[in-house]
Order: sequence, then C-alpha cells, then structure tokens
Amino acid sequence: MSDDPDKVWPTGLNLREAEEVHSYLIDGTRVFGVIALLAHILVAISTPWLG
Amino acid sequence: MFGMRTIALRKLSTLSTRYLPFADVASAEVPLSRLLRLSLFQVTVGMALVLLVGTLNRVMIVELSVPASLVAGMLALPLLFAPLRMLIGFKSDTHVSALGLRRTPYIWKGTLYQFGGFAIMPFALLVLSGYGEAIDAPRWIGLSSAALAFLLVGAGVHMVQTVGLALATDLVPEGDQPKVVGLMYVMLLLGMVVSALIYGALLENYSPGRLIQVIQATAVLTVALNLTALWKQEARDRARAQQMLETPKVTFAAACSSLMANAGTKRLLIVIGLGTFGFGMADVLLEPYGGQVLGLSVASTTKLTALLAAGTLAGFGLASRRLGAGGDPVTLGRIGAAIGIPGFAAIILASMGGGTALFLAGTLLTGFGAGLFGHATLTASIRNAPRNQIGLALGAWGAVQATCAGIGIALAGVVRDVLAGYGNGPAGLQIQTPYNMVFGIEILFLGMAVLAAVPLRMLLSNRADPTLSDAQHNTVEVT
Repeated sequence: MSDDPDKVWPTGLNLREAEEVHSYLIDGTRVFGVIALLAHILVAISTPWLG
Repeated sequence: MFGMRTIALRKLSTLSTRYLPFADVASAEVPLSRLLRLSLFQVTVGMALVLLVGTLNRVMIVELSVPASLVAGMLALPLLFAPLRMLIGFKSDTHVSALGLRRTPYIWKGTLYQFGGFAIMPFALLVLSGYGEAIDAPRWIGLSSAALAFLLVGAGVHMVQTVGLALATDLVPEGDQPKVVGLMYVMLLLGMVVSALIYGALLENYSPGRLIQVIQATAVLTVALNLTALWKQEARDRARAQQMLETPKVTFAAACSSLMANAGTKRLLIVIGLGTFGFGMADVLLEPYGGQVLGLSVASTTKLTALLAAGTLAGFGLASRRLGAGGDPVTLGRIGAAIGIPGFAAIILASMGGGTALFLAGTLLTGFGAGLFGHATLTASIRNAPRNQIGLALGAWGAVQATCAGIGIALAGVVRDVLAGYGNGPAGLQIQTPYNMVFGIEILFLGMAVLAAVPLRMLLSNRADPTLSDAQHNTVEVT
C-alpha cells in the first residue's frame, strides 16, 4: 500500500493531484470569503446592526 | 493496533474516491441519465437569463424605482463578457491539470461566480434603490456593487455554458451529438419557461425580504444543480495529465487563426450572427404587437410565448431527428432561417387585415424556424470543430450568438419603449407601422442569413471526412 512514496494515502492520488484538489478548496474558500464579506458590508449599509 | 490502522486505511481508500467529483474511467457509452444530469447546467443558465432580462428588469424599474436607463445599462453589462467566451473556451482546451481535467475546473469557477453574483445582488439592489439607511450612503457604493453583481453572474453564465457544452461534446461520440445539442437546448428552454413562471408567482407580492429570498434561493439552487450536473462526468486521466504537460503552448491568437483557417468557419459564424439577430428581436415584440395592434387581451398575449416556445420545441425535435439520421446541418439551418421569412410575413400581414389566426400561425412558424436554425447551426459548429479545439469553437459560437441575441433583444426593447412613449401613435403614423418595420428588418436579416449559407455547404463538405481531417489536424498540432 505504501510502496509508492509519491502517493498520498488514503485517497490514492499522487502529490501533484492532491495539491490540485487542495487548490480548488483554497480558491473556493477565498472567493466565498470575499463574497460573504461584501454581502455583510452591503447589508450593514442598508440595515445597520450593532449601533 | 497496526492491523486496525491498515484495515481502517484500506476501508478509507476504497471509500474515498466515491466522494471525489471525478469519474475514474472514461466510459465509451454515456447513458442518457448521465447526459440528462449534465444538462442541468443549462437550467441554471436559463434561470439566470430570465432573472436578469425578465424579472429584475421589471422589479428594478417598478418596485425599486431605479431609472430605466440605469437598469438597461446594468443589464447590458453581462453582454460585454460575451466575446470573452472564446478566451474561456480556449483556456479550457489548453488547461494543464495534474488530474487530467479540462472542463471541470472552469465549470466550477463559473458556478462560483454565478453564486457570488446572486449572493450579493439583492443587497446591492436594495442599496442602489436607497432602501433603509442606504439612502444616506454614497451613490457609488450601490452603483459599483450592483454592477459587480451583474458582471459576476454574467461571467459565470458565459463560463458555465461555454465549457459545459464543450464537456458534453467531449463525452459523446460524433453520431450522438445532435441528440445532445437538442437536449441542451430543450433544457435551456425548460429552465427559462419554468423559472419565469415561478419568479412571476413568487414576486407577485413584492417585498424587499421576498426579493432577497428569491435571489438567494436562486444562488443556492444554481450551485446545487451545477454540482449535480458536474458530478463524476469528466474522467480523471493520468495519461492526459502527462500529455498536457508535454504539449507545446499555443497562443490564443495562433489558436484563433488556426480555427478561422478552417474553410467555412468564418462564414458559419456570420450566418449564425445574422440569423440569431433576425430571430432574436421577435421574443420581446410579439406580446406588445398582439396587444396594441391586434387588440389581444393580456392573458392571450401571454399564451403567445407558450406558442412560440411550442414551435421552438418542435423545431428542436425535428432537427434532432433529421441530424441524428445523418442530415446535413447547414441545409437544415438554411431551411430554418427560410421558414422564419414567411413566419414574419404572416405576422406583418395580420395587421393588414389578415387577422389573429394568421398572427398565431406566424408566431408558431417563427418559433419552429428559430428552433431548427439554432439547433442546426450549433450542431454545424460542433461538427466543424477540430477535436482539440472544441472549447474554442464553442466559445466562438457562444460569443457570436450571445452578442447578436443580446443586441436584438436590446434593440427590440428600444423600439417597444419608443412606441409606448407614442401612446396611440403620432398623427400620420399608424400604430403597426414601426412594428412592421422591425419585422421587415428581421425578414431582411433572415434573407441575408439564407443567402450567406448558400456557399457554406460546399465549403464545409470540402472537408469530406471530419474524422480524417481531425486526425490530420492533431498530427500537425503535435509535431
């Protein structure tokens, strides 16, 4: 099972593939983060909370 | 202890690939259920189009009292992205991925943009209209955030549709492509009709809270449908990943000129542009024409849209059958454009004493021609594309088609608004005259499309065996 040092267990992907899957996760998190931030700012402008 | 760990790991490793969104093997036979699932991305495209062009258009002007010119400008923004479809298609063709994926990353990114745009859109619109405390906020915040929302949705729609169609083309063998094109068009139409009905019902009693609910529900539904469509469609392929690394880089300009060097490609795009523009103006104008000129009631003018859609569906169906049985797409497309000419002529004659029956027949005929033309020209674009440039070719199709349809709809809207300003028409100008001039222009454009398509069949059929010329093309690219 661990005869290929390039494999990332338990997924069976190799290192480059795993990093690519990971990059989609990171990109998605960043985009969703920015979107959520923008949406919160806009809501705070129209209906302010905390003060 | 160690035994437990090994067992656990082995269990995990058999489980885990089931939860990755890539297919493990590329199967030769793609079942219909999988294609149906893939076509769900067209439903989200239809939803976005209806929301932008139809629903929000009305809501912004009527309920949010945003100036009409500003609304028109905002809604035209996504159109600016249409020419970028070629670039998106090209990038997906030449994408380098360790997983061997070409289309999936772009559909995912497009989905993110669609979702992002819809997520901030209701709040951006409320700020733009000065709702609540936003009345004191600087004007540029509302303007720029609304523009950003529309741009994001537009960019997402262009990406998802271009790359999604390319993925569908990748998946099926050449003989089945007409069926897939038909399926994609039907799902787009279905998405548009159903979502128009649902949006209409939901926004009947407008409130800001309802607007937020509707648009954000659209955002969630878009992600859900696109993920369902994408799941396990494209195969993970290490051989292709290796090939991607080794293929020499081609520049966008070189790829474009290589695509345009294929005989007939340019002319096909011209035909698509002329025909789409010709058919595109009808959608918006038929209802006010029926109401103002022929005196039809509001309820019966709404049925016009259903009649047009029914004709279009029949066109898709016939095109799928004929092309699937080995028919020539160019000839069929020319017939489609030619059918539109008597269709519009009947609509014009209806105001000159022909009556309502002639108008309805013309509407049905126009829809039928539009369905036939749309299906046949997209199939021709796909067939004409070299196998390694499918994304680029579909990008070119989408750029021309979306731009011309958009300009057609915008022009028709201008004509309609100018007419509405006239009320019962100025002295000396009958109410139907401007409408009939527009329908006349449509006939002219369809006639030009038919004429432009005449030498096309010769040009395209010079590449006698498409598979052979693809193979030649590939070898040229690789060496």
